[in-house]
Amino acid sequence: MRRFACGAVLAAVALLVSAGCAAQDSGDGAGASEPRTIKAVPGCEEGSWTDPADLAADRAPARCAKGTPAPKPLKERRKLTIATGTLSAEYVAPLQVAVAKGEFKKEGLDVTLKVLPTPDALPLLAKGDVDAQWAAPEAAVINGVNSGFDIKWVAGNFSPDPESKSGLWVRLKDGESASRVPMADRKLGTMIGKGSVIAYPMNQALKKHGGGLDKVQFQALGSADVLTALQNGGVDSAWLLDPVWRKVDGDGRYAFLGGQPAGEPLGGMLFGPNLLTDDVDAGVALLRAYIRTINTYFADDYKKDPAFVAELARLMRTDRTVLESTPSLRMDWEIRAGTTNRLQSAYRAAGVSEGDPLPESRLVDRALYGEAVGHRP
Amino acid sequence: MNTAVRKERTDAAAVLVRRPGPQELHPVRTHRRRRTLELSLALAVPLLLVLLWQLAAAQAWIDDRVYPAPTTILADGWDRAAAGDLWPDVWATLKRVLAGYAIGTASGYALGLLMGSLSLVRAALEPLLDALYVVPKLALLPIFLNMFGLGEGPQVALVAATVFFFVWISTMSAVMSIPAGYRDAGQVFGASSWQMFRHVLLPASLPAVLVGARIAAGVAVLVIVASEQIAAANGLGHLIFDSRALFQNDVMFVGIVCVAVLGVVFSELVRILGRLLTPWAPRDRGRGQS
Repeated sequence: MRRFACGAVLAAVALLVSAGCAAQDSGDGAGASEPRTIKAVPGCEEGSWTDPADLAADRAPARCAKGTPAPKPLKERRKLTIATGTLSAEYVAPLQVAVAKGEFKKEGLDVTLKVLPTPDALPLLAKGDVDAQWAAPEAAVINGVNSGFDIKWVAGNFSPDPESKSGLWVRLKDGESASRVPMADRKLGTMIGKGSVIAYPMNQALKKHGGGLDKVQFQALGSADVLTALQNGGVDSAWLLDPVWRKVDGDGRYAFLGGQPAGEPLGGMLFGPNLLTDDVDAGVALLRAYIRTINTYFADDYKKDPAFVAELARLMRTDRTVLESTPSLRMDWEIRAGTTNRLQSAYRAAGVSEGDPLPESRLVDRALYGEAVGHRP
Repeated sequence: MNTAVRKERTDAAAVLVRRPGPQELHPVRTHRRRRTLELSLALAVPLLLVLLWQLAAAQAWIDDRVYPAPTTILADGWDRAAAGDLWPDVWATLKRVLAGYAIGTASGYALGLLMGSLSLVRAALEPLLDALYVVPKLALLPIFLNMFGLGEGPQVALVAATVFFFVWISTMSAVMSIPAGYRDAGQVFGASSWQMFRHVLLPASLPAVLVGARIAAGVAVLVIVASEQIAAANGLGHLIFDSRALFQNDVMFVGIVCVAVLGVVFSELVRILGRLLTPWAPRDRGRGQS
């Protein structure tokens, strides 16, 4: 008995001592990346790059000529896995189309889209088990980078059409109107968590009406329940996505208070160490294929073409009428200046971020899409 | 058993000699040693595992950003508790568990007694309840959401429904297995219905009922955590899954540890209550017997 107790104590002490003496991996293994040669890209001249500081709502998104930038196949074929939270949302369509039309193959890339929720995909992206993630700099990403993960936002996805009313809707009480709705202390139903990038436009819309993320009560709801809860009084307001907002649009009992800012993408492509440092060529090739897909298929109002809408509906496994019920997204591969700062402010207001705010340079890398369109800094 | 056994061959036949072992020679000392050994094992094994986890995190055998070290979890839990951030979630979960547990236990016991005593009621209700029993209770959450709205109702109802079935089944089975002689004895002494319940059915069935209630205590915590993930704005389940979605793994582990502690404490309280209520029942130590 005594021997057992002594053994247990000794083992515990040995483990503690060795734990105390263990050196922490600093995680500074990544070597400095070499400067890369940037050449002009035919088809991507004026208009293929916009000043990141331009936050005008009516800014025309960057575009190259159709079918450009031209493919530059890698010397060796490379398999890449991109994690995405869904395959049926419209903002994933450029990736789906790029796979279907062989745009990635033209670059020597065999791309697989894998459905994974962001919290599950993040550690895999950081470890290199997943090469890229089609998501957004959500609070989880900021917290992950803050804890030492090497992840960066390298390309944008879209901003909404000015006609879109996807966003914050409120059920009006007597005497209230869209311009006069006190939002403090109201109950807000959303399927999107407080750590989503939507926290930023949501905070903006609430602040315009005397509210704020720290002044409203959140009610997490499933996608099917958000509208029902708004209609039956379970919640006072709700963040309605495409095309759900159509159900209350034009109904005088509800008012639209605001949505995602025009001209400012809030999500897109995240790269981990595989494509940020280990194989930058593959990273640039992936973005080149993505940018070419936008220029070729999503350059402007892509829903004008019924055949293309039908093809999109098939790829996204959704009903064509659902796609037609909302305006085209403005696909945009660029990242605006200060977006991550504004996002972090919103996360702070929502109480979902840890540590000090990270500078944009820790979270954003515009060099890869810049190289793909031949933009010299 | 430490009994020494030796075969001694005599001329006539083999004789089995059973000599007294330490348990017989020094029963108090042996019992004390055994208890000490059990207690040491109960403490040492978890402690060693925690130390191993700490070592693995420190040596980078595991990624401590994904699996934070126990000291990180402890420090974060302490900070949260000191700042008062943890208690609202603990209290929210505890309230739901206690309310649902009370409702589920009371209704399960009442119906179990009724169905165990009256065969016609059993015939009428048992198939229906058997069918409901096998439905995963979490699948009932959308129905409870429709019935009770977005407040505490669905959570409490879910715990109550889960607990109900454990208590109902154990009560009904306990009442049905009471030897007929007990009832006959009650009838011979002219016991009224209340006296039959108070002096025969209750004492005979209570030990088995409390075993069911104890199992239900653990399952109640399990169910509420899953439910809070889906339809609650606070509680330990919400804390765990919310922090997971925000990649705050240290907070997630704090929530998991709190749930484990809550489950163990609640289950032990029910066990202690059971021992107090049924001093005649065989002792259920719940751990290694000695």
